[in-house]
Amino acid sequence: MNRPGRWLRRLPALCAALLALAAGPGQEARAADPDKVLHAVFVAPEAGFDPAITRDLYSAEVIQSIFETLYTYDYLARPVKLVPQTAEAMPEITDGGRTYTIRLKKGIYFQPDPAFGGKRRELTMADYVYSYQRLFDPRLASPHSWLFAGKVLGFDEAAAKAKQTGHFDYDAPIPGFELLDRYTLRIHLKQPDFNLGMILAHEPTSAVAREVVEKYRDAMGQVTANPVGTGAYRLGEWVRGSRIELVANPGYRGLTWNFQAGSDPEDAAIVAAMKGKRMPQIGRIDIRVMVEDQTRWLAFVGKQVDLVELQGPLAPKALENGKLRPELAAQGVQLSRIIDPEISYNYWNMQDPVVGGLTKEKIALRRAIAMAYDVQEEIAIVWNGEAVPLEYPIPPGIVGYDPDYRSSVHFDPRLANELLDKFGYRKGADGFRTLPDGQPLTITYSARADSNGKQQAEIWKKAYDSLGIRMKDNLMPFPDLLKAEKQCEVMSRNSPWIADYPDGDNFMQLFYGPNTHQNNNGCSRIPAYDVRYEASQKLPDGPERNRLYHEMARILEVYAPIRIGYARYRNMLAQPTVIGFKKHPILHCEWLYFDMVKEKK
Amino acid sequence: MSAYILRRLWQMLPTLMGVVLLVFLLFNWVGGDPAYILAGKMSNPEQIANIRAQLGVDQPYWVQLWIFVKQIVTFDFGASWSTGEAVSHVLATRLGPSLTVLVPLTILETLIAIGLALGVAYVRGSLTDRMVMIACTVGMSVSILVYIIVFQYWLAYKLGLFPVQGWGDNFAENLFHYSALPILIGLVVSIAPDLRLFRTFFLDEINQDYVRTARAKGLSEPTILWVHVLRNAAIPVVTHVMSNLPALLIGAFLIERFFSIPGIGREIILAVERSDFPVIKAITVYVAAATMLFNLLTDLLYKAIDPRVQLE
Repeated sequence: MNRPGRWLRRLPALCAALLALAAGPGQEARAADPDKVLHAVFVAPEAGFDPAITRDLYSAEVIQSIFETLYTYDYLARPVKLVPQTAEAMPEITDGGRTYTIRLKKGIYFQPDPAFGGKRRELTMADYVYSYQRLFDPRLASPHSWLFAGKVLGFDEAAAKAKQTGHFDYDAPIPGFELLDRYTLRIHLKQPDFNLGMILAHEPTSAVAREVVEKYRDAMGQVTANPVGTGAYRLGEWVRGSRIELVANPGYRGLTWNFQAGSDPEDAAIVAAMKGKRMPQIGRIDIRVMVEDQTRWLAFVGKQVDLVELQGPLAPKALENGKLRPELAAQGVQLSRIIDPEISYNYWNMQDPVVGGLTKEKIALRRAIAMAYDVQEEIAIVWNGEAVPLEYPIPPGIVGYDPDYRSSVHFDPRLANELLDKFGYRKGADGFRTLPDGQPLTITYSARADSNGKQQAEIWKKAYDSLGIRMKDNLMPFPDLLKAEKQCEVMSRNSPWIADYPDGDNFMQLFYGPNTHQNNNGCSRIPAYDVRYEASQKLPDGPERNRLYHEMARILEVYAPIRIGYARYRNMLAQPTVIGFKKHPILHCEWLYFDMVKEKK
Repeated sequence: MSAYILRRLWQMLPTLMGVVLLVFLLFNWVGGDPAYILAGKMSNPEQIANIRAQLGVDQPYWVQLWIFVKQIVTFDFGASWSTGEAVSHVLATRLGPSLTVLVPLTILETLIAIGLALGVAYVRGSLTDRMVMIACTVGMSVSILVYIIVFQYWLAYKLGLFPVQGWGDNFAENLFHYSALPILIGLVVSIAPDLRLFRTFFLDEINQDYVRTARAKGLSEPTILWVHVLRNAAIPVVTHVMSNLPALLIGAFLIERFFSIPGIGREIILAVERSDFPVIKAITVYVAAATMLFNLLTDLLYKAIDPRVQLE
């Protein structure tokens, strides 16, 4: 190791620590122990650390450690529970869901940075407004502008003006963002929205300081390499695509671990181990990028890594029937296993002349195909058993999920064939069916050109063969697949969707007609569905909205634009040295909330 | 000599232009549209159009091609579309780790293959020669992926002789600690084909009259092999080695992926997966230019090795 080089690189960190200490009372005592080092691993390289433009999970993990949103999620509560982060309390929602009043905690400071000219820089609500504005800056081309699109009074108009001029005017007031004082923001919405709190917990809405952006931005206005936030960690050494070091932010205000145990029996042990501790406890997080499964696995079993996700073929190495293998359990290795807040569903293009449309014979065709598909087989073969079949379009752990709901669509190839016979899809001499008007019936199934895509195509081929329907597979590079999908040119595909925020709305919007060319991949426009979706948007979580969701789920079964599939498990393994770890379904990283044994010198 | 070099450099221009045109056409036909990835999950046609405008891929093809040419002339390929990192920085920081593995590998591979090839050529037809050739054929038949997986598991994880993966910030540590196993795997994979090839070069020389004359003069066998035979067989050996050198610039992506080496090979695969055209085109152009320069250098070396060679 090049010791002098390392010390020189850490000099700014030491200066920052001294500066924070010199700041005197008002700063929390530093709880994080520099001898507690967590060795973590990323499966793919990070892209950069600008909250407004981050597109990958791994960058988001770092961003969530450095920056803070107004709200976050309770570490243990399941279903997930929104709690304040930099906000003083939950938002005051008035005017039937049209107005949100949010107060910020006082005395939160950005980590020291030359951009602040040597002064301590307090976080204010203006920083949040600035950060929200950045999402609409046409130069940035943020993939997260949808978070506020069509919601806040005057915001879309400001964005439209920026699009015309090519420049977003950050100084022009936006009527929907009313700053009552430095610490109070009132947000005026165009229509009732009860999910805004969750939007304000999504990491693209993290607070960035304008001075930092103006000092470090590149030609496109992005600040990917100089993240300066108010969060528990700051960026230490960074070797792009290889190593990311997060060091406890000495100026972070800290929090006292005081989460309540939920229904999970493991929660009690976590509470017993963690209650009352000042957080963060871990002083340094050393993240390495390991792309290959074998590399990650060997690094974990060789104790080079403390925390690893079992992706791809790794799950069978560590798990047996969903439980940790005895040899790993005997070593004290811990498993945290959750169902991801996602759905995988197969859609048929509702604008396609062969499978689309709302006529009875088209509905019968799609319903028959839906009944011929064995979801369990896909789970067993493609996902090594690491998924659960779903009955409802909203997965477990998401607000609006109903564990008692039972779908009317089940694997029944005999009934599926009878349905096709009844609606005139006759089999020819070659054993394949034709359309009722005698035209050929061939369905193209598209998938990503990778091993999973190939396996999925083979299972679907089996389903189509059982019905006597010709199927062609079309394996495509991902960008091409996305492009075709957005242009409603994909006839059928298995599509995954993971929650951006833990509310049923994030899933039900997938099948809303006006979202065609956005994320309604099957391009379905079912008036009965759309009218209920619009009504559900105006309602908070509750029986009335759940009733609408039930009706919408039944409409999806009746018209069959999709076949609900499954949600995958997420399995995290932790070494025995990790204390109090539990995977959260929405938070990308939990480093702030757990502890570990000190590293031996 | 100077006139020859200038003429060859001048002749590179049309070749390079051909490469530029080919890369541009290939990317625009089969490279995918990065805007659909960059736009994120909840994108609409307007956002995609905005991203295309930001990237300049909505411009007419001839404008995009002109921008590409200007980038080559100015050596400024802009920034990566997916990370915002300057392409020059991508190349500068990823090339080092790749070369740390590949330069020692190339040197060792060449020296070992020459030594072994001279040895087996000397004992041509013997049991040793046959056994070595069989071993080479078997070795060449096994994929590098198998070597990586087996060696990483047994030598690194089970026996603990090498680190399973990793990369530090110190050159010596990277070279002697982290690169040792990747270099060993590289040697196992590359020595066999080189040995077979070089053996044929040496066999062509070893029965020549000058070798018999040297023996008649009483020269020792090592002197005959390492001085006379090697020098006369050097031209095809140099041609082979030099033609492999541009590959150093594109790294060894499998080795880099498995051993978490932040090299250029891994970066290229990532760039292709992300349709990151600025990175792809910069690397392609540099590799094409390097190939042509190494070819020129090879021709110049011919002259140094054998003064009878005329550069015309």
